[in-house]
Amino acid sequence: MEKVWIAFAAALAIGLPAIATAWAQSRIGAAGAGTLAEKPELTGVIIILVAIPETMVILGFVVAAMILLM
Amino acid sequence: MIIRMAKVEIVGPKQDLLNTLDLLHDRGIFQPDPQLLERIKLAREDHLQALVLDENNLHERSFFQGLFERITQLLALLPEASEDIPPLQPLPVMDLLDELVDKHLLSARETVSQLTDCHTEIDDLQRDLVFWQALTPLLGDLPEDSNLEIFGVTIRDAYQLQALEDLLQKLTQGRCHISSTTTADGTLVGLIATDCETSGPLRQALTEEHVPELSLPEELADLPLPKRILALQERLDLLQANAHGLEAELRDLDVQWRPIYRRALDWLAERLTLYRATATAYTTQLCFLIQGWMAENGVSDLRNDLNQTFLGRVVLEQQAILDEEVERVPVMLRNPGYFAPFEVLSRLLPLPKYSSYDPTPMIGIFFPVFFGMILGDVGYGMILLLIALFLAKLYQPQHLASDLGKILGVAALYTLFFGVLYGEFFGDLGEAWLGLHPLWFDRGKDVLPMAVFALTVGVVHILLGITLGALADLRRHKPRLALVKLATLLSVLLLVLAVVGYFYPQSWLKTGPLLIGVGILLPVLIAAEGLLAPLELLKTMGNIISYIRIMAIGFSSVLLAMVANRLGGVTGDVMVGILVAGILHAFNLLLGVFAPTVHSLRLHYVEFFSKFLDLGGRRFDPWQKRSP
Repeated sequence: MEKVWIAFAAALAIGLPAIATAWAQSRIGAAGAGTLAEKPELTGVIIILVAIPETMVILGFVVAAMILLM
Repeated sequence: MIIRMAKVEIVGPKQDLLNTLDLLHDRGIFQPDPQLLERIKLAREDHLQALVLDENNLHERSFFQGLFERITQLLALLPEASEDIPPLQPLPVMDLLDELVDKHLLSARETVSQLTDCHTEIDDLQRDLVFWQALTPLLGDLPEDSNLEIFGVTIRDAYQLQALEDLLQKLTQGRCHISSTTTADGTLVGLIATDCETSGPLRQALTEEHVPELSLPEELADLPLPKRILALQERLDLLQANAHGLEAELRDLDVQWRPIYRRALDWLAERLTLYRATATAYTTQLCFLIQGWMAENGVSDLRNDLNQTFLGRVVLEQQAILDEEVERVPVMLRNPGYFAPFEVLSRLLPLPKYSSYDPTPMIGIFFPVFFGMILGDVGYGMILLLIALFLAKLYQPQHLASDLGKILGVAALYTLFFGVLYGEFFGDLGEAWLGLHPLWFDRGKDVLPMAVFALTVGVVHILLGITLGALADLRRHKPRLALVKLATLLSVLLLVLAVVGYFYPQSWLKTGPLLIGVGILLPVLIAAEGLLAPLELLKTMGNIISYIRIMAIGFSSVLLAMVANRLGGVTGDVMVGILVAGILHAFNLLLGVFAPTVHSLRLHYVEFFSKFLDLGGRRFDPWQKRSP
């Protein structure tokens, strides 16, 4: 039973930030696509902006990995 | 690095102004800045005033401007058949060109107008021909009656055809026949035959129903249908021959005159730029004065040039850059060999201010290291190195792909280096096949040590950023800001040591005194930066934690590589196993290039550069000649 809870905790740790990241990236991505239509020279900046919310899921992944492996 | 700039003032007799501007324009190393002169104007407004051109110069500028516009109009009408530009000196022939351009412009306008009419009629006829050719086979369906009126219509779709049939039936009580077919371009067309008495109301009804009738030139409208098509074809051939003749006429005019006009246009553009540039000069009764910016290492050469050309009449003086002018100094970046390709990545940011740093060397040093730390696999590193060599060999040295190839090459070398340290060759394949063992960390298992390593990298990187920020503030003569940065640095260092002391207790590392140290520094920070200072400190700690992505992305890459190897192994067939593992490794490599690139850049742009880089500089944009 304990293993189930550990797996569930790890799934929550990565799942919730993943949803949050996906939501944030969808908003930034849509705005970025609009920006690129007018200013294609901002491609690099937009890629970086889209990558910014990935911090959430990365930290979630780290926490999930630690829950599972430690 | 940011090239050192010099503020220079050029002074000379008024009559040498245009020639001086011409020389500066020719050298392409000087950027005028009239706003610098406004300060002098305020101080000595009795003597200095903005330059007003004399009558001769005004007349000349107006003449050149008019000629420039007419030549531009003429070239826009010609078909660009020739692009050779002769080494002609246009000034002696300007009067002749002034007369010729009117003649050529008139002729070209007339020819283009005829050609446009011709093309319009050709388009109409071609469209009609397509319709009438499609309708010809329907003629056989019609009853033989000389009293019949025949006309064609275009029909939107099958529903409109049905509605049309119903309408015709109702209007003519069956004294009408409609056939339909589809043209080569897919348009549905119909042929309607009716007697002369009902044709009038029928046409009226078709107009009301928005069913367009196929029109014909008046001279063809009375011909019987088979002859119409023949006449249409003949007319089309004639028009096409006419159009070819007119095009040839324009092409001949272009081949003969475009090179000369093109050269004249370039010369005129340069000349008009010179006149516009006079707006940057100020004058006294006898002298002109220009101030602006140039690279410091070019000052003595330009001074010698001016001396030789004007025999000492025009003087260049380098002046001290005042503190309040530092923000106005334009920025020129130039990086030596190794760092030059990394400008591709620093150009994604706005330019730094002159008093700040060029981010390129920082990216050149740290980006490949972070990339290697994240990807760290001998197999992937070898593939990336091959791709990098291929790109560098395939493209010219200045090409973007060549620069990207060079960056990838350096990143691949670090990937190989860290791959050896992690003992990875396509994940755990190296261990199974080649007996490779980690020299440092086994990333698949040592999650915590790897996380500590990534955070340590973050601490070093962020503290370096804060130190550079403090140095930049000192250079800008802002010691108070520099002190705040040093206090922040000390606070971060104490906090980090406190965290280390908490998790790895050492007799010499007491958490309590370290936290007291932070407590002493906090009021200093609040006094200097306001109530947001503790938040800034927290943000800095968050920036450090963000470096844990070095471990996380690397860890996910290792796991994906291991999954690829496992899946390849469970297939039970060597070929299928290689195929499955190959596809998954290719996918992992693709992610392995994209993710480390984006996240390494992000660590630089968001975490590192925010500590010291002051963006928003003006690009150095000197006057430059476009034509020889």
